[in-house]
Amino acid sequence: MKRAAYLPLIALVTFSACQNQANNSTTQTQSKKDTNQFQVGIPPGNDTMKHEQTEFYTPVPAVVTPGKTNSEPPSDAVVLFDGKDLSNWVEANDTTKPAGWTVSNGTFTVKPGTGNIQTKQRFEDYQLHLEWREPVEDTTKHKGQDYGNSGLFLASLGKGDAGYELQILDSYHGETYSNGQAGSIYKQFPPLVNACRPPAEWQTYDVVWHAPRFNADSSLKSPASITAFQNGVLIQDHSVLKGVTLYIGHPYYLKHGPSPIKLQDHHHLVSYRNIWVRPLDK
Amino acid sequence: MRKTSCLLFSALMFLSMKLMAQTPFHYLSSEPAQNKTMKSEQTATYAPVPKVVTPGKTPGAAPSDAIILFDGHNLDKWVSDKGGPAGWTVSDGVLTVKAGAGTIQTKQSFGDCQLHIEWRTPSPAHGEGQERGNSGIFLQSQYELQVLDSYQNKTYVNGQAGSIYKDSAPMVNVCRPPGDWQSFDVFYTAPVFNEDGSVKSPAYETVLQNGVLIQNHVAIKGKTLNTGIHYYAKHGPLPLALQDHGFPVSFRNIWIRSL
Repeated sequence: MKRAAYLPLIALVTFSACQNQANNSTTQTQSKKDTNQFQVGIPPGNDTMKHEQTEFYTPVPAVVTPGKTNSEPPSDAVVLFDGKDLSNWVEANDTTKPAGWTVSNGTFTVKPGTGNIQTKQRFEDYQLHLEWREPVEDTTKHKGQDYGNSGLFLASLGKGDAGYELQILDSYHGETYSNGQAGSIYKQFPPLVNACRPPAEWQTYDVVWHAPRFNADSSLKSPASITAFQNGVLIQDHSVLKGVTLYIGHPYYLKHGPSPIKLQDHHHLVSYRNIWVRPLDK
Repeated sequence: MRKTSCLLFSALMFLSMKLMAQTPFHYLSSEPAQNKTMKSEQTATYAPVPKVVTPGKTPGAAPSDAIILFDGHNLDKWVSDKGGPAGWTVSDGVLTVKAGAGTIQTKQSFGDCQLHIEWRTPSPAHGEGQERGNSGIFLQSQYELQVLDSYQNKTYVNGQAGSIYKDSAPMVNVCRPPGDWQSFDVFYTAPVFNEDGSVKSPAYETVLQNGVLIQNHVAIKGKTLNTGIHYYAKHGPLPLALQDHGFPVSFRNIWIRSL
C-alpha cells in the first residue's frame, strides 16, 4: 500500500471519531432534554384545574438581608476582604505562608514577585463580588497584556496559574487579543462588550460561577459555567468553559473538587477591595 | 492513484470538518498531545472586537448602550396594553400603578435582554399574602417576574417576590421592608421555536434582587398562568409589560439593553 492510500483511512477514522464525540457530548444531551420537557399548546386538563394546584409552600427560601447598597455584602456572604487584612488568603505556591501583598487604606495591591494568592477556604458554586482598580502606567512602555495585568481564578487548581481565569487587564486603553482582554475567560471567551473604566477608577465584577462536576472515573459530568457582569454590564452570559485556562494549547478538564479562589500576580500594581462570596448550595 | 487518494482525503476531511462545526463542543478529559508543540498565538483571537460600552457612573445607573424606558419624567416609551396612552401616575421622578388603569407595556419589542428596574411596595403595608403590594414584570409580555411585598409576608413560595410566577421560587428571600426601594437585575434569553411551533430552546432567566442571586439561569416552563400548567406558544420579540394588580406599587430607573 502506498503512503497516500492511508490518507482516506485516516480521514474516515477522524470522521467517525467526530461522530462518536458528538453522541457523547454533554451539551447535546442537555439540549435534547431541554427541548423535550417543554409543553407546547394547552396541556390536557388545564381547564378543570384550580389555582391552588400550582401553588407550593415548601421549601421556604431562606431570608437574606441585602447590603445597604447592592455592592455591600448581604447577610449570608463570606467576606474575603473587608479592608483590614489578608487573613483569609495565603500564597498559592506555598499555602503554609500568609499572603504577602500590600494592604493599605482599605485596599490591597499586588506585590510584584510575591506570586499569586488564594483563599484558605474552598468553594464550589458561588456568587462573587469583587472590586479592582488598574494602575496608571506609561502607555508608551506598557502595551496589551503588559498593562495592569492580573486575574481572578474562579477555582485555583494548584500553584502558579492553574485554574480558570477571568481576565483582569487595562482594556480601556490597551489593544490585545479579544479573548485576552478584561472580562474574557482567558483564551476561551471574549467579553460580550468592553465595559472598562479608565485606570485609577474602581471597577466591579459580579460573577455567578458553577464549578465543573466529575464522575467517579474522572470523566466530566458537567462543565463549568460563568455569568459575569462588569460595572453592571453583562459580559459573560452563561459561558460554558472548555476546560482549564491555558496560555498555550487547547483547554481540557482534569477532575477536582471544591477549590480556593485565586488572584494573579502578573507583576502589575493592580488593587482590590470589597470582596465577598455567597456559596450556592444545591 | 495518488491524485484520487488526495481528492478522496480532501472530500472526507471537508465532510468531517463540516460535521465538527455542526456538532457541540467536545470536552477533553486529558491534555491533548498537540498542546506540547503549540504556540501561544494559536489560541489568541482578534476578531470580532467587543464593542465599547461606557458603564453607568454609579451602580444601577444606565450604561451607554441602554434604552432608558423610564427616567423619571414621562411615559413616552409606554402604552396601555389595550392601546392608547399608559395611564399610570408619574410624580417626583417615580412611576406608580394607577389601580384600574391596567397593564402598561413598552412601545418597543425585545428579545434577549439585560433589564434593570427598581420598585417599591407601599408603606405602611396593607393586606396579606398576594393581596399586599402585588405587581409584576412580564418579560416579553409572557413570563412574569413577581413583584410583591414579601417582607415578613407569607404566601406560596412560587408566588413570592422574585419568583418566576408559579414556575420557580426565588433561591432566597432578600426583600427589603415596604417603603424601601429594591432592584431587580435581569438577564433574559428569549425562547427559540422551531417552524412547527415546538421549543428549540426555552426562555432562560437569571435575576439578582438587591444584588443577590435569586434566579440562576432558570429554564422557564412556559407562559405565566394563574391556573393550570404553563405551556409555550410560539412568539417573536414582544414588549416588556408591568402589571396593574390594584396596588400602588412604584417603579423608577428602568433601562434595558438588547443583547
